[in-house]
Amino acid sequence: MDPLIEYHVQRTRRQFFGDVGLRLGGLALGGLMAGGAGRTLLGADAAAASSAGRVHPAIPGLPHFAPKAKSIIYLHMNGAPSQIDLWDHKPGLRAYFDKDLPESIRNNQRLSTMTSGQSRFPVAPSKFDFRQHGRCGTWVSDVLPHTAKIVDEIALVRSVYTNAINHDPACTFVMTGSEIPGKASIGSWLSYGLGSESNDLPAFVVFTPSFPSSGNGQALFSRMWGSGFLPTRYTGVALRGAGDPVLYLQNPPGVGVTDRRDMLEALNELNRKQHGVYGDPEIQTRISQYEMAFRMQTSVPELTDLSKESAATLEMYGADVKRTGSFTHAAILARRLVERGVRVVQLLHRGWDQHDNLPTALKNQCLDTDQAVAALVMDLKQRGLLDSTLVVWGGEFGRTVYSQGRLAPDNYGRDHHPRNFCMWMAGGGVKGGTVYGQTDDFSYNVVENPVHVNDLNATILQCMGIDHRRFTFKNTGLDQKLTGVEEAHVVKELLA
Amino acid sequence: MQFPPLNPYRAALAAVLGLGMVSGASAATGSVQFNRDVRPILSDQCFACHGFDAKHRKAGLRLDVAESAYAPNKEGRIAVKPGDLAGSELWKRIITQDPDDVMPPPDSHKTISAEQRSVLKRWIEEGAKYQRHWAFEAPTRGPLPAVAMPNPVDRFIADRLQREGLKLSPEADRRTLARRVSLDLIGLAPTPAEVELFVNDPAPDAYERMVDRLLASPQYGERMARPWLDLARYADTHGLHLDNERQMWAYRDWVVRAFNRNLPFDRFTVEQLAGDLIPNGTQDQWVATGFNRCNVTTSEGGSIDAEFVFRYAVERAATTAQAWMGLTAGCAVCHDHKFDPISTKEFYSLYAFFHSAADPAMDGNVLLTPPVLKLPSEEESARLKALDTELRNLETVMLAQARVTPYRDPADLVPRPPVQELDTLWVDDDVPAGWKSGTSTGGSTRWVTTEEGGPVRRGRRAIRREDSGLVQDVFEGGTPLEVPAGARLYAHVRLDPAKLPSAIMLQFRTDDWKHRILWGDVDAIDWGAKGTTQRAHGGPLPAAGEWVRLEFDAAKVGLKPGDKITGLAYTQQGGRVMWDEAGVKGQMDPANDPTRSFAAWWKQQQGQDVAMLPADLRKVLKEVPGTNQTPAQVAALRDHFIARVCVDTRESFAASLAGVEAVRKRRNELEGQIPSTFVWKDLDKPRDSFVMTRGAYDKPGEKVTRGVPAVLPPLRTEGLPTRMDLANWLVGDEHPLTARVTVNRFWQQFFGVGLVASSEDFGSQGEPPSHPELLDWLSVEFREGGWDVKALVRLLVTSATYRQSSVVTPELLARDPANRLLARAPRFRLDAEQLRDNALTVAGLAVLQMGGKGVKTYQPPNIWEPVGFVGSNTRDYRQDTGASLYRRSIYTFFKRTAPPPFMTTFDAPNREGLCARRERSNTPLQALQLLNDVQYFEAARGLAQRMLREGGADLTARVRFGYQVVLGRPPAADELTVITQSLERARARYRTDEAAAQKAIGFGDSKPDPTLDAAELAAYTLTANLLLNLDETVTRN
Repeated sequence: MDPLIEYHVQRTRRQFFGDVGLRLGGLALGGLMAGGAGRTLLGADAAAASSAGRVHPAIPGLPHFAPKAKSIIYLHMNGAPSQIDLWDHKPGLRAYFDKDLPESIRNNQRLSTMTSGQSRFPVAPSKFDFRQHGRCGTWVSDVLPHTAKIVDEIALVRSVYTNAINHDPACTFVMTGSEIPGKASIGSWLSYGLGSESNDLPAFVVFTPSFPSSGNGQALFSRMWGSGFLPTRYTGVALRGAGDPVLYLQNPPGVGVTDRRDMLEALNELNRKQHGVYGDPEIQTRISQYEMAFRMQTSVPELTDLSKESAATLEMYGADVKRTGSFTHAAILARRLVERGVRVVQLLHRGWDQHDNLPTALKNQCLDTDQAVAALVMDLKQRGLLDSTLVVWGGEFGRTVYSQGRLAPDNYGRDHHPRNFCMWMAGGGVKGGTVYGQTDDFSYNVVENPVHVNDLNATILQCMGIDHRRFTFKNTGLDQKLTGVEEAHVVKELLA
Repeated sequence: MQFPPLNPYRAALAAVLGLGMVSGASAATGSVQFNRDVRPILSDQCFACHGFDAKHRKAGLRLDVAESAYAPNKEGRIAVKPGDLAGSELWKRIITQDPDDVMPPPDSHKTISAEQRSVLKRWIEEGAKYQRHWAFEAPTRGPLPAVAMPNPVDRFIADRLQREGLKLSPEADRRTLARRVSLDLIGLAPTPAEVELFVNDPAPDAYERMVDRLLASPQYGERMARPWLDLARYADTHGLHLDNERQMWAYRDWVVRAFNRNLPFDRFTVEQLAGDLIPNGTQDQWVATGFNRCNVTTSEGGSIDAEFVFRYAVERAATTAQAWMGLTAGCAVCHDHKFDPISTKEFYSLYAFFHSAADPAMDGNVLLTPPVLKLPSEEESARLKALDTELRNLETVMLAQARVTPYRDPADLVPRPPVQELDTLWVDDDVPAGWKSGTSTGGSTRWVTTEEGGPVRRGRRAIRREDSGLVQDVFEGGTPLEVPAGARLYAHVRLDPAKLPSAIMLQFRTDDWKHRILWGDVDAIDWGAKGTTQRAHGGPLPAAGEWVRLEFDAAKVGLKPGDKITGLAYTQQGGRVMWDEAGVKGQMDPANDPTRSFAAWWKQQQGQDVAMLPADLRKVLKEVPGTNQTPAQVAALRDHFIARVCVDTRESFAASLAGVEAVRKRRNELEGQIPSTFVWKDLDKPRDSFVMTRGAYDKPGEKVTRGVPAVLPPLRTEGLPTRMDLANWLVGDEHPLTARVTVNRFWQQFFGVGLVASSEDFGSQGEPPSHPELLDWLSVEFREGGWDVKALVRLLVTSATYRQSSVVTPELLARDPANRLLARAPRFRLDAEQLRDNALTVAGLAVLQMGGKGVKTYQPPNIWEPVGFVGSNTRDYRQDTGASLYRRSIYTFFKRTAPPPFMTTFDAPNREGLCARRERSNTPLQALQLLNDVQYFEAARGLAQRMLREGGADLTARVRFGYQVVLGRPPAADELTVITQSLERARARYRTDEAAAQKAIGFGDSKPDPTLDAAELAAYTLTANLLLNLDETVTRN
């Protein structure tokens, strides 16, 4: 980071903590002592914080222009969901069942070595029926009955493409703009640039929920929410499905909240004394971070407490909503996080790598996520939050039209396909009901309006009030950008 | 990070403009210097289009070299006309308001500030003198500044401070100093006794002797290894996709030992980059070559080999360039470097040194991806040797007996013995004698009689199975079944027409289950490659409703005469299937039977790797054509045949053979326990290397040979340059970078920030040095002093600069917030490893055992599991117990895709790539961890026990003791009051809640001292928890 910016940020933060932060800690304690744990902290203090100063301020100059979305919820379907079976409707393919993919379509393009040895490439039409939905009439597969109900909110891109053909590099690419580990993830870029509205919760929160046992669970990598070359404090904080929701949130056994408060009072006093001797501002920061930690011990359990959610809301999300660690649970928490001013929430759902048994496994993947995804968007809308929240859905690449391995009308598999896949965006800044980009009859090549992963990321930044070309961080001599070295373009057609 | 503002007015201005300050010295005074003042501006604003990169150069203009900048273009305009501002196009273009003409152009999103403009203006006015980038000029040892101080470091620092109107702070008090230098050199705080020894030592060299004692400590190497392992991207897993475990901790231990034995840095360099090329290199030197095997590797299905061979070489070249030279050479993978003089061709010339590595593109997801080196201890070597001798002796006796055993090769008999037809039943009514059966789903094999399941083909029962999916009846164990000559395998099957399977399959195991033949849909059972012996096709599904004989050549499933079948499986994909009467038909021609005729066996084994033979004969058989084998070798082979193979003779050797095999088994078990480590080797035949167009692995362009960038000194070589030449070049006398980069990193380690703050980048986009003369002086001193690391470290930590107090006044803080002038000692938070190691040490829990396999310490549930690939062997975290929980952090098992939280929370890198400099963040998650993590809370209890047992009789004495142990000093009166009151409150509370007290002291695997009162111990534990969280405790002051 530029040292002066760093200095400026730290000074702002320190002033805030010097004047306001400790008082906030006091307030927190007051709330607890009065028996009003939780609620007051988030309501009153969050408001106080936004007027008085922020723990996670934006860097100077950001946002570049008025943002359409203040927060983002990024739903990453890890493993690469099949575009042909979900979004890219190709009714003509039925006639091509088990016929060889025309050579003119495949055009000697690179194949993954999992199928490059196949003697033939038989076309596998989707087993699923598609129907038009909403006022916009977007075609959606029957396997996504709930998402189908929100298509008027969605801008669907059918022509996303990427550089990588395997999971590890492709996941790294879609999240960091580079196939090689070491770059900053999109979430850490946003939390670095924009900070957070919340003083009690991290700016960037990540979920890695459970997934169906039929799913082919590809790996996740912490670099997908890592800070890369950005300072490590911008790394996404995992809200965990088992154990403490935030690491080490709970006091040790036998240590109660008053024990902890009592100890912190003594600790603060001794640290303030140390500051009196050495004058090192880092000591003040440390005091304030211990207070923030203490507040998180209340704010996080309050966050995960669904007892005040209405029955209608819970029902909308589905049966799994209270099962900690499920995608549905993570989805409702995502809304609660955004409500509390968290800048970036990322859900990374695994199991979408259907090399075989695609129809059954894909259906299970959708059963695990479809209702919750739709509920999340509707819930945000009902609360007036959708206008200021960008929701993104997608995977790391697409899947081949031809079958990998055995082909039957009701059973087939699909290999990796980087040349086109589908992603969608909804909410803040997005023109709902849009369908953008066109692929050929085999969903094998983009024929109209290609959108590179970097273009999509540029568009996401645009919604968040950031000009991707100007959003840089100096590292190893380069002005690093999320969108990389090659030119990237905001896809204006997706924006309201 | 750049140099802080020195003038408050300029600081304010710069803050408003969001600018970095001019480094080194204020450009506002004195003359402008190109490298210090101008190059950073041009590099940042102009070089992308007017720099070294020829392909993207605009208007043919370079501003990085005088020749181009001074030269008129075809319209006669001159970019930079020395001394003539108005005649300089550069100046006109940066001040114009015309958007068509202004530079940098609006679409570059770069703007030149007023301050930068004024620097450029003065530079041109003063004659626009160019300098080569400072880091490419060889360092020279200039005169020491005339400051009356003994340590040269101080002369440079004090001289500069003097010029700024500042001075060094007074020396820190002895207790602070003892703690500071101990944490810096061994990563652990000193014991109270060590502190007192120093405090009370009246000798003038008391401090120096303390430093020497620390430099001699074995813990020194562990502390010094940590930053190097960050550079080397060392970890215990492969890093990509499955992220399985890899074994190369011997390299980590080598680094620790190298620092401890003070291996000179030039040797340290040569052994890591070219230890494999040292004639008669030692095991240790081979281990050192692990440096460039530490990179992340993959074995993801579908990956393309060529792509990863390319990527690994790029990564290794870039890492080497950055670790030793501070060059961001990786920028030149796709295009010429924008800022530094490294062309793509030069990058690929460097890459060519690493492009012929012998390791495979796919790591195989295995622990030991070749090439690897076995590392027996001396004791293990001796035991192996003893077992080998024993084995040889037993074999000698056995073979001597074979030599005198009467044997006639049936091939030599006249007339030849007749051929016999065989038909051997393997499975009928029951499995072969001594074998076991079961199903793949975990059930038992179902045998039915005709009454129970339908007509049996032969005997009294058959096997029947019905399933909706893939299922097998598996037979294994017992004496292997031997495949005869001309073997045809058979089995009988009866399919139920009402419930047909999609395919049926027979599968055989030799060393592996890799012999398969299917009938029906060949895709229905997706095992083995189609069309090979691993998935042969027998034909369509046999007719249903009747018994059908399936018979096929053994060769069709890759079985040859003499093979030993150790398993057999009836397999079906769905359906209802009966199986019966399986076996083998074949011939036994004694003259051609390799189990009877030596000649037949000998012929069959040519070129094979026959594991049962001793190494020398094994090699002969494998590598020497039969016609070239000596009579003695053939005779020895014949002895083995008689004793081990020939069915007519081997029975009489059963006992001696059992003896031999028992010893061999022990030997192999021992060998299996000996650890190995990844090492570097080149392919026998080097790969050709090319400039890869735009960095694409499949677009080779111009062919390149090994070489180094032209801007640096020439490479000395005879013939094809080797990595040894490269290593020697890096540490050569004329190399401008290696010593500077290395010295700077050590400076960073002891002063928090390097003299060049961007310790990973010495190129023109990096920061210029804050004290260039000091950096050069140290670099030359280091190199000419024989690259003596301990001497350098000693020089740094015995300086007055190092020893001064860290107290800062608000004025000084505002003047120099980043402390680049060093008018005070830096204070900074301890590293992740130091924090944990210290807590364990003060608790009395630390186990200082050195080296060995990575240990799995406390880790919360669900760190590995939610990210781990289902098939990964590092998916489930199994925590170690006992001493392993308390080893130093450098020995913690490091999984790259989910590193230990106690490390990452405190800014440890994930080791996926080189890291030259860690952040030092200050976050609430760190607070939560230090307060609540079992490792730290258990340590607090350990410390509490020490306070109660060793601290004295009363509360005050015990708190004093705690302070001494943790901070090396007694508490001040007011501190004592705060702690005492807090402790008394905690004690009162735990007295009334025995259960809570028990819980608090029971956290962690170690057991609390049962002789201590629980409430008392719990209260002290909370106090110790406080002590371990003090800012002073977590800070190196």
